[in-house]
Amino acid sequence: MASGHRAQWKGFLKFGEVSCGVALFTAASTSERLTFNTINKATGNRVNRVFIDGETEEPVPKELQTKGFEIENGQYIVIDPDEIAAAVPESNKTLEIEAFIPCSEVDDVYFDKPYYLTPDKMGGDAFVALRDGMRKSKVAAIARTVLFRRMRTVLIRPHGKGLIATTLNYDYEVRSSAKAFEEMPKLKIEGEMLDLAKHIIGTKKGEFDPATFDDRYEAALEALVKAKIEGKALPKPKKVEVSQPNDLLAALRESAGLMKSGADKPKRTAANANKGVGRQRAARGAAGKAASSKAAPQRKAG
Amino acid sequence: MPARYYWKGYLKLSLVTCPVAMTPATSESEKVRFHTLNRETGNRVVSQYVDSVTGKSVRDENEAKGYARGENDFVILTDDDLDRVALDTVKTIDIEKFAPAESIEWVYLEKPHYLMPDDAVGNEAFAVIRDAMKSDKVVGISKLVFGRREKAVVLEPRGEGIVLWTLRFGDEVRPEESYFEDIDEEADPDIVPLVQQLIKKKTAHWSPDMVSDPIQESLVALIEEKKKALKPKKKTSRTKDGPAPASNVVNIMDALRKSVADELRSRKAG
Repeated sequence: MASGHRAQWKGFLKFGEVSCGVALFTAASTSERLTFNTINKATGNRVNRVFIDGETEEPVPKELQTKGFEIENGQYIVIDPDEIAAAVPESNKTLEIEAFIPCSEVDDVYFDKPYYLTPDKMGGDAFVALRDGMRKSKVAAIARTVLFRRMRTVLIRPHGKGLIATTLNYDYEVRSSAKAFEEMPKLKIEGEMLDLAKHIIGTKKGEFDPATFDDRYEAALEALVKAKIEGKALPKPKKVEVSQPNDLLAALRESAGLMKSGADKPKRTAANANKGVGRQRAARGAAGKAASSKAAPQRKAG
Repeated sequence: MPARYYWKGYLKLSLVTCPVAMTPATSESEKVRFHTLNRETGNRVVSQYVDSVTGKSVRDENEAKGYARGENDFVILTDDDLDRVALDTVKTIDIEKFAPAESIEWVYLEKPHYLMPDDAVGNEAFAVIRDAMKSDKVVGISKLVFGRREKAVVLEPRGEGIVLWTLRFGDEVRPEESYFEDIDEEADPDIVPLVQQLIKKKTAHWSPDMVSDPIQESLVALIEEKKKALKPKKKTSRTKDGPAPASNVVNIMDALRKSVADELRSRKAG
């Protein structure tokens, strides 16, 4: 199955007493982004990175580098990378489903990386039965195994004809939203303000396909570099006017009115603007121009 | 430990604008971290920049970002320059579109952040945007410059705040069809109800215990133990005396191996 792709992991998926052979394939990769070189300002030359002893300042060759825990300031317990690797147990190669949880209870802030989960030739029947059962019961599954040298928890859910297994971040890697927001004032908006905001939302409702989105950064940066080379002044950042609390209702009314009058005109939100371009990157020059000429409706300072 | 806001800017819906601050929802700060040491001296290994032509070390204040315009020809860009790139999305999250709450495929979700008002002046405006999205069961779609890319972002109301997800680009998500093409469309209708019965029996509530890290837990416990064992010695042997005796190292590894094996066994049994 999934011929032509290299599996990241092969093993078994087990639920109850049923198990089937499965493979995991990377579902998302990070595409290259623009990188800068680090330059020595004094000479204009590129710099190289070397690894030196923090105290003697002598270079430390790779074979003399080892790992350690810092237990006190400057005090370490040495542990060799080989030994760290050896600490991870032999994997039993089995993603065993420990629990199913209702889809509505999934806390997505734990999501790390998605993998396509596919059956091998023998495991197809059990696999599709699990997929359809989970879909009908509206649940996701929690399974654990040793993956990529760590004990990882994955969340498994139906996706099209297959399953997606998303590795989850560990408990200590995620800050709870409750905690993050605990100091915020408890405000509940009702009445006209809420109605106006909902009206504005109504005029901007639509589908969004992330695959059609394009990055304008590179083109904008090229324009900036060009301006700098030519010695032109860089554009000043636009001053942002913040809505004052006693103007909020007026701003909402004005926005809602604007939506009504502007409804006939073709709206050029950036999400729409990118629609036609599809997956390919926008033509560089044109995108730069579009970026700089995008004028947001400016509100008079109240 | 209070989280640092790593981005501050504005949240905008049509003519309503409020100052906001953002912090990542995930952090590596609690992870047990290994440092690189020099095996011979036991000292930390640190990285240093040297000039690629002169070979001399480069002082921090002379490090700059260079945009390559040719071979060995760089235009130096300061952080101030970069902030002036002609995109409003450097500082402003302008919500352009709203989509049904469940309509963004999970596979596109890249990294979650928490978004909140940055000044009391914006509390009410922020709450209006949040509550209207909540009441309409929609998420906001916008875009924002993140680390030299302009990314699509999704805003979902949660509690008093908003979770802001950066989304992956279309060319970063591999097309599922080529992975799933050989899988059967329909399952055996006699088997599915049995699977559903099993699901019902094994359904549990979500709990952060499901994402514990047994290897890290053992490491933490062992480091605590090591600390205690080392305390009395600390006064007589100061830092530069080199690594701890090899026997300790072996003990940690044995214990780790054992505890993880136990963890695996108990999971299997359960």
